[in-house]
Amino acid sequence: MKRILIFILVFSFAYATQGQTAGSVPEKKMLTIKSGEYIPFFRLPGTDPVFIKSFLLDETAVTNAEFLEFVKANPQWRRSKVSRLMADTNYLKYWKSDLEIGEHNKELYNSPVVYISWFAAKAYAQWKGKRLPTVAEWEYAGMAPLVNSREGTLTSYVLNWYSKPNPKVLPNVRSTYRNKYGLYDMHGLIWEWTFDFNSFIKSGDSRANTEDELKLFCASSTLYVNNKSDYASFLRFSYRGSLKGNFCIANLGFRCAKDIN
Amino acid sequence: MKTPLSKRLSSVLSLGAIALLIGIQPGCKQGNDPSAPFDISKIDTVITGTVDAELTEAPNVPQPLTYTSPKRVKVKLEVIEKVMNISDSTQYTFWTFGGNVPGNFIRVRQGDLVDFTLVNHEDSKVSHNIDLHAVTGPGGGAEASNTSPGQSTNFTFRALHPGLFVYHCATAPVPLHIANGMYGLILVEPQSGMPKVDKEYYVMQGDFYTKGKYGAAGLQDFDEDKALAEIPDYVLFNGKVRSLVGSGALTAKTGETVRLYVGNGGPNMVSSFHIIGEIFDKVYTEAGSSINTGVQTTLIPAGGATIVDMKMEVPGTYLLVDHSIFRAFNKGAIGQLKVTGDENPSVFKKGK
Repeated sequence: MKRILIFILVFSFAYATQGQTAGSVPEKKMLTIKSGEYIPFFRLPGTDPVFIKSFLLDETAVTNAEFLEFVKANPQWRRSKVSRLMADTNYLKYWKSDLEIGEHNKELYNSPVVYISWFAAKAYAQWKGKRLPTVAEWEYAGMAPLVNSREGTLTSYVLNWYSKPNPKVLPNVRSTYRNKYGLYDMHGLIWEWTFDFNSFIKSGDSRANTEDELKLFCASSTLYVNNKSDYASFLRFSYRGSLKGNFCIANLGFRCAKDIN
Repeated sequence: MKTPLSKRLSSVLSLGAIALLIGIQPGCKQGNDPSAPFDISKIDTVITGTVDAELTEAPNVPQPLTYTSPKRVKVKLEVIEKVMNISDSTQYTFWTFGGNVPGNFIRVRQGDLVDFTLVNHEDSKVSHNIDLHAVTGPGGGAEASNTSPGQSTNFTFRALHPGLFVYHCATAPVPLHIANGMYGLILVEPQSGMPKVDKEYYVMQGDFYTKGKYGAAGLQDFDEDKALAEIPDYVLFNGKVRSLVGSGALTAKTGETVRLYVGNGGPNMVSSFHIIGEIFDKVYTEAGSSINTGVQTTLIPAGGATIVDMKMEVPGTYLLVDHSIFRAFNKGAIGQLKVTGDENPSVFKKGK
């Protein structure tokens, strides 16, 4: 019990410091995702699998404390300064002010930053000398099996998360599961921006496949789907299809990727 | 002489063929037929004002419309994902149009320009859209309405055909969204209005698939295997076991006429809709323009609807059932219509 208390104390101190002091946030660990083939979820007959080159991916999603450092260093990304074209009015709306996550959010310092736009996520990645992962990279890394969870299959784990409304307080990073690559929370904590988030379903109607302007309704749309019963992937691709680059949403954050030279 | 005759014959024949074609086109009758679609040549008729649609929770139906020329009707529907009771002991995470299953009832008039805004609540986990079967246009509105959490989308459509139409979410995976309760009804009144009745109610059937069996306690997750096999744990009227029973029962008095707007959201089951102890005086078959009379049981397809009218002659409790009867007996597809008033022994009398 004592140990746990000390643990909590040390950590809350650490978060508090991270949250308020510039330059104190440790560099994020990146993990190597080995090259391989990714079979796109939506594909027309004859579509080849995508070859994924080995790349680096952040171990966890970018946290509020980390994002604060970015905002401090880049005034144009402060809440009061940001262009509406780049982020809608919900941008970082839960923060206390431009440069304060706020005492009321102290449980969130090490939780994923959310209510940030695609433009903001992309700018953060560039500032770090990184980039956003592509959909193919994200999906490839995200389908690795769970290694520290009792949950049966990844699909049932993911569906389970999708079926629950957002929690009152967003948990910290590393609070869900770790996968085979060592990545934390690829599912089960937040949705994550990807570089080409809207390139798969351009239409709002999920029964249509607009890649080739076919109007396919209900069941026929699944003719072009890798696995018809993969409801978790359907939900993820529909969600991405609903997004615009300046949207800032309660359960949407990001992590960064990097090429291996 | 031969040629002109054959010419005349052929022109008579082709005229006849055209007449036949027009004749067999469903819903294309001319004149004062209340079932006729909106005359497209009058599409630019000036809209005479804007109204906010009255939206109601089942089993209530909005008041009959009193205006007599097309209006811009504003409808705003919010998608809310929430845990609710599916039975007294069981909870389920429903995805709803307006906070309830079925979604809010929408009532417009033929010729109205419907200005539709879909809001997805900030706390939603996933994106949603809406396909209204009353819409003439791509995806029934779905293509224009895929909405992220915390965002809203808007589209307008002209209500061309009168009838009772299902609306539902059509975001992939469509079956999951429907299985979670994302459906409701929109009534497009004919320009002459619906014939007057004393009571109108809104009932919608749906089937549900849970990890635990019927009535298993606690929060139950969606079961994809059961849904694919089409073996529901629950077949329900208005989204909950006993929603139309006891204090939730529909009511009427003897001598009153009752109209039920009945939809079937599915996702899988086709309903054999029946009321025990009543015969439907009128059934608007599949909620279209043909009226059948003296019907005992009427089919309601998944993604379809019906309108039934009946006059209540004898007091008592009448049971609404899906007469695919295991569903009524074991899976929850049962409701009550309680009729009070004087006995009517010339119609029904219990012996000793």
